[in-house]
Amino acid sequence: MEIEEILRELDTIFRDILKNENITLTPETTAKDVEGWDSLTNMRLITAIEKHYNIRFGLREILKFKHVGDLCASIQAKKK
Amino acid sequence: MKEMDMIKDIVRAYRNYPDHVAFVIDDTSYTYQEVFARVRGIMPSVRDCPEDIIGIMAEDCIETYASILAVLLSGKTYVILHPNYPDSRNRSIAEATGMKQVLYGHESGICQSLPGKIKCISTLELRDDNREHSLWEQVQDENKNAYIIFTSGSTGIPKGVPISRKNLNTFYAAYHQLGWQLGPTDRMLQMFELTFDVSVVSSLYPLTLGASIYTVGTNKLKYMRVYELMEDKELTFAAMPPSLLQFLSPYFDEIHVPKLKYLVVTAEAANANLLQRFRSCAPNADFINLYGPTEATIYCTAYRIPPGGCKQHNGMVAIGRPFAGINAMIMDEKGMPVPAGEQGELWVSGEQIMQGYWQDKDRSRQVFARFNGKKYYKTGDLCSADSDGDIIYQGRKDYQVKIQGFRVELSEIEYRTKEFFSNETNAVVVPKKEDDGGCQLHLFVETAPHERDALLCYLKEHLPVYMLPTDIHFLEEFPLNTSGKIDRKTLTTLI
Repeated sequence: MEIEEILRELDTIFRDILKNENITLTPETTAKDVEGWDSLTNMRLITAIEKHYNIRFGLREILKFKHVGDLCASIQAKKK
Repeated sequence: MKEMDMIKDIVRAYRNYPDHVAFVIDDTSYTYQEVFARVRGIMPSVRDCPEDIIGIMAEDCIETYASILAVLLSGKTYVILHPNYPDSRNRSIAEATGMKQVLYGHESGICQSLPGKIKCISTLELRDDNREHSLWEQVQDENKNAYIIFTSGSTGIPKGVPISRKNLNTFYAAYHQLGWQLGPTDRMLQMFELTFDVSVVSSLYPLTLGASIYTVGTNKLKYMRVYELMEDKELTFAAMPPSLLQFLSPYFDEIHVPKLKYLVVTAEAANANLLQRFRSCAPNADFINLYGPTEATIYCTAYRIPPGGCKQHNGMVAIGRPFAGINAMIMDEKGMPVPAGEQGELWVSGEQIMQGYWQDKDRSRQVFARFNGKKYYKTGDLCSADSDGDIIYQGRKDYQVKIQGFRVELSEIEYRTKEFFSNETNAVVVPKKEDDGGCQLHLFVETAPHERDALLCYLKEHLPVYMLPTDIHFLEEFPLNTSGKIDRKTLTTLI
């Protein structure tokens, strides 16, 4: 999967969970940049992403995500 | 009970362990010596301020904690303002207390939104390394307030809970008496917002021991950070809301914290099954449930959760026995004790109880009652007591709920909603408990379908994020019950 493709799918997931149609993610986006992306919604986002791609992240792995790009790279690696 | 002075003990620990690490903030360590150099640097500004009440901008930096200590050592009262609060909320707290001085670290932006007569002082450069300068000179007046915590209020104006030094020290002595096996080598977590009173014990108690405090500030992904600290820094003590454990629960099989000696759950009802599942992650920890309203100074009951046979009600862990010095009663609607084992409202009395809300005699009158010559604070919590004397928590009496550990009066959200509609419509918030222990807020407005965004935008300006409704429903007409009141039960079925 291409990163761009993953980003657009993530947009949909983020918009749905954070109830904000204006979210457009880039690889550099961090939680700081997105209103409502906090500890609690993060878990809901992760769960939704896991479900969407039928993958599973480890806790340590989630900790290492510094921005959306890391998340995309992990999804990409798992879907190979 | 032995009389104790928390601030005195903190100064003693500093003298005994000047080179111990007091705080670790964002991977930077500060020794007791370094913290107190800042405290000494800040104290002259605090002492020179003619008013007793000093505002402190809550930031996750060493200057914030040093400011708290400086205010307490100067015999004054601190009031926390928060950079993430809407401007109007900080302003109304500043106005209600009449503060003239605010101490801040990096967040100077907020100062512009405060009333102009307030002097904002940056604490970043304030240092005094001369250890000869005394910290503890005057005898502290026990009746003066140590802090005022502002909680959600139903009139839209936050209500102030003033806690005196007497309250705080009584709490400290009773808390100490719980028999913690903790000392100068312990590593302890402080993850609570400073606007919430549990942060007071999380950040001050370790300092009485010469122990180290690991803080987690207003990090957007703070729950992950707490896990990281617990495991990587081998924390020995952690107090947290059960929602944090709920959040980590899908990953329990990855978590291993064998060095943890104590897990304290607090701030909201803890789920017994969840804690049981966490046992294997923290095999050497004692699990303790601590309960208490802000009005009774942080905590006033404790329940040591046994590995098996935890007492509970609908899955909510019992809150246990009252602290030493706290008198607890379970009362019926008429203000008389209920028969043994029956449900009633929990009333507490003792030296930990506040005198009354800040400049709000009416509301104070509503929450206090006398029984057998003693003044009791009515907690609004429904409880029963079993034959061992353990108190079993059974839920909130009114419509006050806890969201992520914060106390929320639903009526405050309703108040702001009605205000948005120029008080021409009715609004009701119905809390909906989720299976995972969380709570959704459904806002119902009695009006024709309306644009949500403008309303949400307005609410965002006036309420902290955790108070924003999960969903907004517009209803042309509210269902009423037989006594003509809005039928909240029927509303719940419409969610």
